[in-house]
Amino acid sequence: MELIFIISILIISSLINILFKKRIFIECVSVISVFTTLVLSTVVAIKVANFGFYNPFPFFYIDALGAIMILLVSFIGFFTVVYSIQYLRKETAKNIIGFTRTKQYLILLSLFLTAMFLAISASNPIFVWISIEATTLSTAFLISFYNKPSSTEAAWKYLIINSVGLLLGFFGTLLYFTAIHQVGGAVSWHLLLENASNLDPLLAKIAFVFVLIGYGTKVGFVPMHTWKPDAYSKAPAPIGALLSGALLPIAFVIILKFKTITDVVVGPLFSQHLLIAFGLLSISVAALIMFNSKNYKRLLAYSSIENAGIMALGFGFGGLAIFAAILHMIYHSCVKAILFFTSGNLLLKYSSDKIDNVVGALKILPTTSIFFILGFLIVTGTPPFGIFFTKMSILSVGIKFYPIISFVALFFMVIVFIGFFKHVSSMFFGEKPEEIKTGEESIWLFISPLALIITVFILSFYIPPFLNTLINNTVLLY
Amino acid sequence: MSILILQFVLEIIFLTLVFLHISKKNSEVVWAYIIQSLALAIILFNSYLDTGGILLLVVVLLILLVKVILAPLFFNRLIKKNSLAFSVSTYLNMPFTLIIISFLTFIAYSNKFTPLTNIIPSNHMLLSLSLSVMFLSLFLIINRKGALSQIIGVLSFENSLITFIIFAGLEQSAGLQIGIIFDIFVWIIIATVFATMIYKQFGSLNVTTMNNLKD
Repeated sequence: MELIFIISILIISSLINILFKKRIFIECVSVISVFTTLVLSTVVAIKVANFGFYNPFPFFYIDALGAIMILLVSFIGFFTVVYSIQYLRKETAKNIIGFTRTKQYLILLSLFLTAMFLAISASNPIFVWISIEATTLSTAFLISFYNKPSSTEAAWKYLIINSVGLLLGFFGTLLYFTAIHQVGGAVSWHLLLENASNLDPLLAKIAFVFVLIGYGTKVGFVPMHTWKPDAYSKAPAPIGALLSGALLPIAFVIILKFKTITDVVVGPLFSQHLLIAFGLLSISVAALIMFNSKNYKRLLAYSSIENAGIMALGFGFGGLAIFAAILHMIYHSCVKAILFFTSGNLLLKYSSDKIDNVVGALKILPTTSIFFILGFLIVTGTPPFGIFFTKMSILSVGIKFYPIISFVALFFMVIVFIGFFKHVSSMFFGEKPEEIKTGEESIWLFISPLALIITVFILSFYIPPFLNTLINNTVLLY
Repeated sequence: MSILILQFVLEIIFLTLVFLHISKKNSEVVWAYIIQSLALAIILFNSYLDTGGILLLVVVLLILLVKVILAPLFFNRLIKKNSLAFSVSTYLNMPFTLIIISFLTFIAYSNKFTPLTNIIPSNHMLLSLSLSVMFLSLFLIINRKGALSQIIGVLSFENSLITFIIFAGLEQSAGLQIGIIFDIFVWIIIATVFATMIYKQFGSLNVTTMNNLKD
């Protein structure tokens, strides 16, 4: 029942936002709805940890990895809404947007969250595809939110690339359906897995390639990543947090679901090698571009591409690296939300997303700057934070079986650190410009990043037993 | 319907795509798309007659309503309202475009894709042709500079995908049919909204005028 409630609450919240015109009311409704989804998602995750799966109706099926994703979406979603409310108020005060835009934003955000919940909980691969397509449609309007030529351009690029990508993913999905002799009824993930042995091995390989390209477009693997820097930089900052922290891992998990089916037919090496190839390519290309990045939101987008590559390497290497890759996914979602929220604070203060235009931020926005620098240290894998251990665990597994690939990946990870550090030092240190007033915009703008930093810090040293169970069960499943 | 008639209808879809590649006028592009969608509806209706699936009939009616009537009406209104008589040109010139079309068709019929085209061995030729239509649609999206052509490219890709689904014998899945309905309905709405937005902000549907985003 919990999932029905989650989806109903979000849809009702959208409807209320459409019907009512009192700002404080729709803000409260949005916060309450996402808080309720967070509580209910935690209940679902605990149930999955205890019973192994959650299957209240035939339409829904959540396994251990699905439970982690549900938790991640609701967690990042909650903090995104909390942050967004103050962020949008500030933008309204600066006459960047009006109240109608705020309403549209909150409606689209609820629909985006609903689509993500459906994508991760649907038991039918076609409904998963429909849900992912629905995320494209809701986020396209969020990317073009500011109604400027550049944001329309980014949204158009996003729409075309992702639609084509997802149609390829749809094609791959239907190729898996050839394993089932009678496709009249609903085809679930389980049915596909049970009938996987009927699949022609060559067809399974082709199908996985299409799925990997299709959903990999949504993940942002190189070379299907081109929409990502544009979309992340033009969308409102909190939407970047959701795109990177929630949508990316969901698309990744869908690829993994198809991987398990493909592995039954052709063995694990085929999909692992493909994941390693896409992973390494994503890390190296992102690292090289990040070094010369001129825009800090685009920098974060390339950082997401790099981290998607690291996750792909983890699942490609297999074994213990899978455990590390799942943890990496969790840490990355939290830290990317921190970075996007703080980048939103910088944007509000400096009115520019160009790295060159942001100087002396540590003196102007001390709290935001400390959070951003902490986020940078966490995301680049500086000890003692969790991402350091996940990167090391993935590479230590890789060195045994793929030493050259692991060293190349390590080299580019170092490049990422140097490039990111170069930009961070130019933005946060140095003399502050006289024309910009010192001081944070509002305490509400750093409550969300603070909560997420505390979460990452705690999770770096302590994983709650139910989460540990979920991760262990995921390693067994994938 | 005999396989020869089906092949003929599929060839019409193929030819409309070739025409979409070489056409210079936007109104012609829309007409080619109408014919293509109508041909798809005929193929799908034939499948309905064979199987009797009521949801399949809904898909046929929806294709007729949305792809054959509503979307072209909108495109024509957009063309008239903004005086977009001529479509924006292609990245590659005509001879080179035709060479690539031939190459892609050849690839679709090659042994490389036998696992795909032999899903139902008796439909081997139809599946090969459907695959070549898919490749041509993808190439159309990449090669055209106009937003309208890109939208029609994506919609043609959708059509080719549905054609492949039918000849691969997968159209019976209720999930697939709902997926198709969802895609047809929602994508057209969103794409047309964006086409209007692009014209308002750039004064043209030429996507090469979009150059605000750089690293």
